[in-house]
Order: sequence, then structure tokens, then C-alpha cells
Amino acid sequence: MSESESTADGDKWGIAHVFASFNNTLITVTDATGAETVAKSSGGTVVKQNRDEASPYAAMQMAEAVVDDVKAAGIGGVHVRVRGPGGNETKSPGPGAQATIRALARAGLEIGRIEDVTPLPHDGTRAAKKNRL
Amino acid sequence: MTDADEALAFDRVALTGTPGTGKTTVAEQVGDRLGIPVHHLNDLIREEGLHEGEDEQRGSLVADFDAIEAYLGDWSGLLDSHLAHHFEADAAVVLRCHPDELEARLRDRDEPEAKIAENAESEALDIVLSEAVRAYGDGNVYEIDTTDRPVEAVVDDVLAVLRGEREPSAGTVDFTGAL
Ligand SMILES: Nc1ncnc2c1ncn2[C@@H]1O[C@H](COP(=O)(O)OP(=O)(O)O)[C@@H](O)[C@H]1O
Ligand SMILES: [Mg+2]
Repeated sequence: MSESESTADGDKWGIAHVFASFNNTLITVTDATGAETVAKSSGGTVVKQNRDEASPYAAMQMAEAVVDDVKAAGIGGVHVRVRGPGGNETKSPGPGAQATIRALARAGLEIGRIEDVTPLPHDGTRAAKKNRL
Repeated sequence: MTDADEALAFDRVALTGTPGTGKTTVAEQVGDRLGIPVHHLNDLIREEGLHEGEDEQRGSLVADFDAIEAYLGDWSGLLDSHLAHHFEADAAVVLRCHPDELEARLRDRDEPEAKIAENAESEALDIVLSEAVRAYGDGNVYEIDTTDRPVEAVVDDVLAVLRGEREPSAGTVDFTGAL
């Protein structure tokens, strides 16, 4: 499946970049090259006390907020690039990220490859990836 | 002035945070002030061969956690490294720094651009904080924001942790605006 191919409906593929931090989740959808931003939703800020419950809810709201713009740009499916452990229940790619992917699918976007591109802090040494969370 | 021999709240503290947040600078000063040992884990990994080879793309040795644990043994004092929270201690202090300032600090240290970018993104995503909370539980993590603050102020905050004068905290900053 190459990124220049069409989705089942003949629409273009885009890339959904999901950023899941300790208490925030962001989503940016770009074209297949990553050059042009088609839609963006930030501010899935989660109140500290309710982080667990609110995270998937915020993710769902963000997915709903971007999907119209994404479809209007002729994009029918997205490859997903997830960054960040997300939330305090840090099971990569995090509850916020997983909820976002589910919500994008529910909103009618085809989901292509899902890649974890979480950055690795390093300073002449780094953790083994098997030690990643 | 040294405050050596005072009773401390913690015997072993993991001083962690993304590279460039100021761990080594702060650890030296806190160690001097309290007269406690400081272990610079990144140096130990290199000098003592506590690794399983090199990640050539990142110019980084891949830490061997079992070998490190065996080498550290019954350590006390401060463990300085962005990997410190992967090891057992009584508390974890996580230094934080806004990614823009972190980039400037790492650039001053003449680090390669790819390394600066990946560490800045790690800091924006709270990677180290999340790992520390996962490993230690949020009752044993002390997050300290160093952005726009002099080293002395950060040193005072870390001293307060060691003296049991500071409450645990996590998620007090949000750097996702830098993404
Ligand atoms: N609170 C601070 N404010 C400004 N600069 C700092 C501060 N703490 C450290 N620095 C500078 O930032 C750079 C990185 O500090 P360093 O102690 O090497 O960080 P780390 O050990 O976390 O990688 C150094 O050049 C240091 O002088
Ligand atoms: Mg250092």
C-alpha cells in the first residue's frame, strides 16, 4: 500500500499525526507528503483529576473536529503516526492516541498503517527500545 | 558553605529529565552542598562498558540496564542521567525545560541538530516525566521547571526535595504548544 494510491473510495490518503503528552493530546492531519497541513486540533487538554476518563473523550472530540476539513480536502483515509506515551496510564501509544484512532475510524476515515514514531531522549547513551514503555 | 551531615528525607534520588534540562550542572552543586555522592550515569555507561553496543544513527551507546544495576549495587546519593528513573531509588526528580530554551541550551553545547530536535520533541511530549511517573508512581515524583530560571533556584528546589520540604508533583507544565 503506497501513499500515492487511493483509498477504497477513490479518495486520497493523508497522514494523521497524533501527539500524546502527559496531559494533552493533539492531532494534525497533513497530505501524504507531510508538507501541507489540512486540519489541526489542539487543546485536548485534560483536567488533571480526570485524566483517565477525559483523555479518550478529548481525543474523540478532536477527531470529530478535524474530520470535516479532512474530507473536504479530498482525503478519505489516513496513515497514523503516533508520538508520545500519553497520559498517566502510559501504555504506548497511550489511551489518548488509541481513542483518537478509533474516533477517526468511527468518523468515517479509512485507517492505513499505524506507526509509533515516538522520539527517544538520548545523550551519548539511550535506553534499549525493549525498555520503552 | 556546606551543609554536610544533615539528615535527609531520601537516601537515593534519581535526578532525571531530557538532556539539556540541567541535571549534571545541578547535581554537581547539590552534591557539593550536601556532601553526598553524585553518580554521572552517562559517563559510567561509557567508561565501564555498561552497554550492549552503539546506536550509530544517534551516536549513542545502548544502555545495558542489568549491567548498570549490578555496577551501581547499593548506591546512595544522586543518580544523574536521563535514564536515572529506570533504576530504583527513593524518589525521582524530573527537571523540565521549555523545548525552545532546551534547543538553545543544546545548541550552546554544540550538539548535532538531529539530536537537538529529537530531545526537544521528547521534552514537548513529556516522555521522561511519563516514564518516571509510570516507574515511581506520582507520589514519588518531583517535577521542577527550570525554564527561565537561574541554576541556583533549581538547586534550591532540588535541595528542598532532599530535605523533605517539597510536595510531589507531575504534569505541572504543558509544552505541547512547541510541537
Ligand atoms: N537553570 C538553568 N538555566 C540556564 N541554563 C542552564 C540551567 N541549567 C543548566 N543550564 C545550561 O544548560 C546546558 C545543559 O546543562 P546540563 O547540566 O549539561 O544538562 P543535562 O545534564 O540535563 O544534559 C549547560 O550548558 C548548562 O550550563
Ligand atoms: Mg548531563
